[in-house]
Amino acid sequence: MRRVRPYRLARPSWCVPVIAYLLVFFVIPLIANLLRSRPVDAAIGGGPFFYYVKLLTDPYYAGVLLETTKVALITTFVCLLVGYPVAYFMVRFAGRWNALIVFCVVAPLLTSIIMRTFGWRVLLARRGVLNAWLLDWGLITRPFELADQPIAVYIGLVHVLVPFMVLSINAVLQGIDVQLEDSARVLGAGRLRTFWHVTLPLSVDGIATGCILVFVLTNGSFLTMLLLGGGRITTLSLLIYQQFSTTQDVGFAAAMGNVLMLVALLGFLLQFRLLRRRGVKP
Amino acid sequence: MSVRPHGGGNNTTAGAPVELADVSKSFGGVQVLKPLRLALVPGEMLALLGPSGCGKTTTLRLIAGFEAPDTGSIRVAGRDVTGLPPNKRGLGMVFQNYSLFPHMTVGENVAFGLRMRRTGRAEKARRVREMLATVRLDGYEDRLIHQLSGGQQQRIALARALATSPSVLLLDEPLGALDKNLRERMQFELRDIQRRLGITSILVTHDQEEALTMSDRVAVMAHGEVLQVGRPTEVYDRPLTRFVSEFLGTANIFAAVVTGANGPNRWSVALDAQPHAAGTVESPAALAPGQRVTLAVRPERLSLGPPTDGTVRATVRDVVFRGTYFAYELTASGQPQPVFAYTQLRQPVAADAAVGLSWEPGGAVILQDTA
Amino acid sequence: MKRPSLPVALLFGYMALFLLFIMLPIAVVVVVSFSSSSYIVFPMPGLSWRWYRHIVEYRPFMTSLATSIELALASATLGALLSVPAALALARSRHKLAGLLANLLLAPISVPAIVLGFALLYFLSALSLGLSFTSLLIAHTVAAIPYVVRTVLATYRAVPSDLEESASILGASRGQILLHVTLPLVRPGVFAGAMFAVLTSLDNLPLSYFFGSATTNTLPVVMLSYMENQFDPSIAAISTVQMLIALATLLLLDRVYGIERLTAV
Repeated sequence: MRRVRPYRLARPSWCVPVIAYLLVFFVIPLIANLLRSRPVDAAIGGGPFFYYVKLLTDPYYAGVLLETTKVALITTFVCLLVGYPVAYFMVRFAGRWNALIVFCVVAPLLTSIIMRTFGWRVLLARRGVLNAWLLDWGLITRPFELADQPIAVYIGLVHVLVPFMVLSINAVLQGIDVQLEDSARVLGAGRLRTFWHVTLPLSVDGIATGCILVFVLTNGSFLTMLLLGGGRITTLSLLIYQQFSTTQDVGFAAAMGNVLMLVALLGFLLQFRLLRRRGVKP
Repeated sequence: MSVRPHGGGNNTTAGAPVELADVSKSFGGVQVLKPLRLALVPGEMLALLGPSGCGKTTTLRLIAGFEAPDTGSIRVAGRDVTGLPPNKRGLGMVFQNYSLFPHMTVGENVAFGLRMRRTGRAEKARRVREMLATVRLDGYEDRLIHQLSGGQQQRIALARALATSPSVLLLDEPLGALDKNLRERMQFELRDIQRRLGITSILVTHDQEEALTMSDRVAVMAHGEVLQVGRPTEVYDRPLTRFVSEFLGTANIFAAVVTGANGPNRWSVALDAQPHAAGTVESPAALAPGQRVTLAVRPERLSLGPPTDGTVRATVRDVVFRGTYFAYELTASGQPQPVFAYTQLRQPVAADAAVGLSWEPGGAVILQDTA
Repeated sequence: MKRPSLPVALLFGYMALFLLFIMLPIAVVVVVSFSSSSYIVFPMPGLSWRWYRHIVEYRPFMTSLATSIELALASATLGALLSVPAALALARSRHKLAGLLANLLLAPISVPAIVLGFALLYFLSALSLGLSFTSLLIAHTVAAIPYVVRTVLATYRAVPSDLEESASILGASRGQILLHVTLPLVRPGVFAGAMFAVLTSLDNLPLSYFFGSATTNTLPVVMLSYMENQFDPSIAAISTVQMLIALATLLLLDRVYGIERLTAV
């Protein structure tokens, strides 16, 4: 090893503007949000954690918390099931089609979430495309409603978030030496056994990164619930949106935001640890 | 330790193209370069030769200005440059990985240094043409870097370094990324250009053959210090230490005791391993009978003969044909390490045959360190 | 060529289904945008440009689209100006704080936009900036910073430091190195990061939602409020337009940076 320090063109002071900017417009506002979650009206009583207590003990809000967690877990799991084979295919089989598949995976990110949600409404509605086809083929005799149902929310969420899962797993799979798989196969393992014993364990970091990302992003989503759920799924983000646009209960909205932040922060720390284990600097 | 250019008998080296005075450097508490004195002779090529981690690259980077020394001062062409940034030192440098700018054409690469000096357009173009002619790549101005082969990239890197007429050329493992055949050809070519331009050069390499082939003087380095400096034949034939001897090539090391004088500057020795085996060594310094010494004998200096009196008795273990010579691996009784001998012609000896080894008086060297 | 085994054949079939799943809702919206009907019905009664004419005539769509594009470009530019010097400094730093700072710069990506938007609204109102383009610009720049930092860090780390050393010893001052060597070499990363920031900004409803006023609404906010009242194909038409803008941006990005490298970031 040569003891050579890389040449440094940029001076540490070049970091100052962006750090100052983020301190003022990112860190301080979020800290202020912590303070805002205390009840202003002392008459309410219940101390500085009044809203958090309410969030955890009130059956309605506790239900929302539970629902938020459930939606995030299910979405994450489905994204993993749907996305893993795609990432695997891209690395091992796509070859010259890879660019096209990357395009198809990235393309949804180019369209607004509103567009995609709108598309699912058109597909799933009572007078939508799916019902029209099923009626044409005689598979059903009368149309049924798929939009404004929990299933529509899950379909919409998976559609929006699965690209993140695919890209996360793909990044790790790309780093796995094909020769490892080849040598396992030379040693007599079939394709499925090779996958199960070699590829899958090696891609665990990508799976973890993707799952954390999708989990956190699901928690932050509210458009899909708003436009596809028909009021049948209420999560924390949606509640913040509604609190703000209807009741204007600032303190409570701030408290809910902080809970959401906490989840995101935990996810971020977990992801940072994973990346460190992989020896990747952020 | 102190290293003076050969021939320069006094300490005044004010006109030296490069002069290091007690320059040292530590990284994270580890001293990678012990206080070093070094002065170059105008027009020479000096090789800094040593294994990785010996401090040769650090020395070069200190001269270039990429690192600041902890102690000492650096002078280039008589000017103290210790506190100057690299761009103010007027040096040229060729890196191991070519480090050509991938977003520029060949012509723009070669012209880069002139552009930084705001040289006029016509003069710039003329100089680029001249430099490309020097490295025999005339007309390559508009090529892109990735269209060139490794050898061509290396020559462009040289042309770029020379374009600004630097006072000193620094070469950091310049041929390390090339394959063997090309490397050998480039050694001669680089050497030729350096001689033609008469530019003082420092070559950093871990390849002893490259150092011996290309340079006027070799400075062998290890553990952050220069062990020996001298002409290639000098360091090869008269190594001062076992490390230098073994780093520059294969050496057979024998422990011996001086038995008496044997002519002017010549002494007889008896090997510890085989006290009956006698040899002669040359030493400019006087030796006392009974003094313990360590000898180094190069394999090509050993001759194989019948196991007669006074020779080192050995048994042939293996013979390998190496293209230009035959390499014999032998075991000498009493000597734990194998002994190697190279001969131009195949000797009429079979495997396991008993032979006698001997050398001419000039063939053995007394090392300074003990065995 | 060997006949593919059953698992491989199944995988190919699955890929086809997956691509259908991804593309179908988008394709459907594009198709619907050409409907001649005032409702969304299938099969469509006929094709027409009427909804494109409608969105051009419906002022809130056009003004908010202009605001969105202006905002996206401005925030990406400001984000790049702030981020590039910092990314260059952090990429090669071995200081203990460097990792921490890099994490701070990447953090806004992980904070739910709705929380950030909400928190910024009250903070900026206290600074009496409130509902204004400036507020939007401040918020979207916070979101743009991580994208630029991430791609510039990755790009600059792949640039061997001896290129800058070469330039230095050839006589280039720090400013000249930055101008002639470093910036041209990291330009693809700056460009890619800025493009990501533009694309995210165009669709960042939660961040824009809180700052909306009659004069400074962004397109997603206007679309959402439109959808709450009407459900007609004009949403499909404006979505298609927005997608084409993003697509053009991506194609530009591909030419400069190479689309396949996007997965490696």
